[in-house]
Amino acid sequence: MTTVLKSAIVIGTVAKACRLKVPQQTRQILAAQLPASEQMRFKHWNPKFRVLRGKKIIKVELPNFNEDEEAKQLSPDEIRKKLKEKGMLPPRPWQERTMSIGCTGGVFEEYVPPEGDGKVSIVSTTGAKQRLTALEKKGKSMLSVRKIRSYDEEFDVGEFAEQAVEIYKAAHQALTARDKATLHANVTELAYPKMMQNVRHKTVRWQLLKSLEPPRVVHVRHTDILNKENVFAQVTVRLHTQQLLAIYDRFGRLMYGSEVVGKDVLEYVVFEKHLADEYGRWRIHSKVVPDWMPARDPVTRTWRKEPVPPPEEGEAEPEKGDQGAETGEKAAAAAS
Amino acid sequence: MLSARILQRIIATNAAWPGGITAAAATLLPSRVPSSVPELGPARPAGVRAMSFLPPTGPRRWPLYNEQVFPPTGADEAPRPAFVCHVKTNVKYSTKKMWYIASMIRGMSIEEALKQLQFVNKKGAQIVSEALKEAQEMAVRDHNVEFKNNLWVAESFATKGRVLKGLRRHARARPGIVHYRYTHYFVRLEEGAPPEQYYADAPLPPEEMLKRWLEQRRQRTITHSL
Repeated sequence: MTTVLKSAIVIGTVAKACRLKVPQQTRQILAAQLPASEQMRFKHWNPKFRVLRGKKIIKVELPNFNEDEEAKQLSPDEIRKKLKEKGMLPPRPWQERTMSIGCTGGVFEEYVPPEGDGKVSIVSTTGAKQRLTALEKKGKSMLSVRKIRSYDEEFDVGEFAEQAVEIYKAAHQALTARDKATLHANVTELAYPKMMQNVRHKTVRWQLLKSLEPPRVVHVRHTDILNKENVFAQVTVRLHTQQLLAIYDRFGRLMYGSEVVGKDVLEYVVFEKHLADEYGRWRIHSKVVPDWMPARDPVTRTWRKEPVPPPEEGEAEPEKGDQGAETGEKAAAAAS
Repeated sequence: MLSARILQRIIATNAAWPGGITAAAATLLPSRVPSSVPELGPARPAGVRAMSFLPPTGPRRWPLYNEQVFPPTGADEAPRPAFVCHVKTNVKYSTKKMWYIASMIRGMSIEEALKQLQFVNKKGAQIVSEALKEAQEMAVRDHNVEFKNNLWVAESFATKGRVLKGLRRHARARPGIVHYRYTHYFVRLEEGAPPEQYYADAPLPPEEMLKRWLEQRRQRTITHSL
C-alpha cells in the first residue's frame, strides 16, 4: 500500500473514532492524490440505512424568525412575490387619515444674499450702502409686510428682528436640553427632523455669546397653499453673531467645536408663520446658505473614502470630489 | 402509533410562550474584570406578561445599551472607550454548540477573531463572523469609532432562543421528540487594544508570583519574638 493511501486510511479511522468530519478540503486533496483504483471510501457500503433513518423523522417546515429584517433588503418586486406566495394582500396604497399642514415644504423665492456680505467693514462705502438699503426700497417684500399687517396689526419689521433672535436662542437651547415641546413651538415641522437627527445620542453645548451686528430683516414673502385664504408668510432675518458650540458623542468625547473658542456666524434664517391660523407662531423654518459662504470647520475624524467605480464608456467621468470631507460635514452635528 | 396525549403535549408546547430566556452565560463565566457598562433596569415593567398568541420578539435589553448617553468627560478623566452591543436573534443553531465559538473569541481583537473563525469548521463560526462584521459596521457608522480594526471583543455569549418540537419514530413504533433549537448570539465590541488577560483569575507570570509570595511572608506577625 502506498504511503498516501496509508495516511488517508489513518485519517479516516481517526476521524471516525473521534466522530469528526474530515474537512471538505482534506478530502479533496486526498482524493486528488490517490489513483482511481485505490479510491478512499467516504460513503457507507450500503447507504439504504441512512435513507431509512431519514424516513423515521416527520419533516417539519421550520419558520424563519428573521424574515422581517431580511425583507428590508429586498426590492419591491421580491416583496410582492413573497406576499403572493403567502397568500397575503398587499398594503393599502391610500391613507384614510387626515393630514394637517402646519408649514410649507420649503422656502419660496429664496433671498439672494449679496456676495462678500459680512466681510465688508461697516465704515466703508459698500458696507454703508448695504446697511442703508432698507427693506422699504423692496416692493415685493413691502407687499408681503402689508399682507402680514392685515392679519397682525402690530407687526413691525424692526421689532420682529429682535423677536427673531429670541426665538433662535429658545430653539437652540431647547435642542441642547432635548426639550421637544419648546422645540416644536419654536421650529417648524420641516426643520425639526433636520435639527433632531444630528443630535441623536449626542450631548450639545451651545451658547449665543453676543450679536456682532444688530439683526436685520432682509426679505419677506407670502404664499397660499391649496386655498387663497390659507396664507403663509416667510421672513428672512440676517443674523451676525458670535456663538459657542461643542458637540460630544455618546461616550462624552468631544466630536466637534470647542467650549472655549467662540466663532463668528453669519446666517440668513427663514422664519415662517401660518397667518390664517389664529394660533400661528413665528418659527424657524430654514436657512439660506449662499454658494460663496466658506465651508464649516472640518470634523477632527477620518472616514474611509469609498472607491469610485470606473466610468462606463459613453458616460462622463464622475467628479472625484472629496467624498470623505463631504460625508464628514454631513455627519458634523452643527445644530443650526 | 403515537398516543394522542403525547401529540397534544407537543402541539401545546410549540404554541405556548417558551420559558423565559435562561440566565445569561455570564453566570457561568469565571470571575472577570468588571464591565465598564453600567447596569440597565428591566426591559419591560414587572407584572406585564407576554400574550401567548403573539410571536416572540426576542431579547430587548441588549440593544438598549446602544442608546445610553454618557456625560462629557472632564479634562482630568481618561476618555471613555466607545462600545457597541449587537445581537443576532433566533439563529438556527444549538446554544451548547454556540458556546464553544462564543467563548473562543472572548478578549480577542476583532481582526484576530475574524481570522480565527475562518478556520473553525462549524456553522456557528459563520454566524459569529457575520455578527462581528455587522457590529463593526454599526460602530463606525453610528457610534463614532474611527478605525474599524481598533475594536476588541469585550463580551460574547449565547442564550437559548425558541425551541420547536417535532416527532420521530423509534424502533417498535416508540415515539421520540426532535428539538429544533434556535439561539440568540450577543456580542459587545469595545474600542481600543484588547487587555493582556481577559479573565481575572488568569495565572500570573513567575516574577509576579514570587513578588506576591515574598510580600505575604514579610507581612507575617511572629508572636512571642524578641
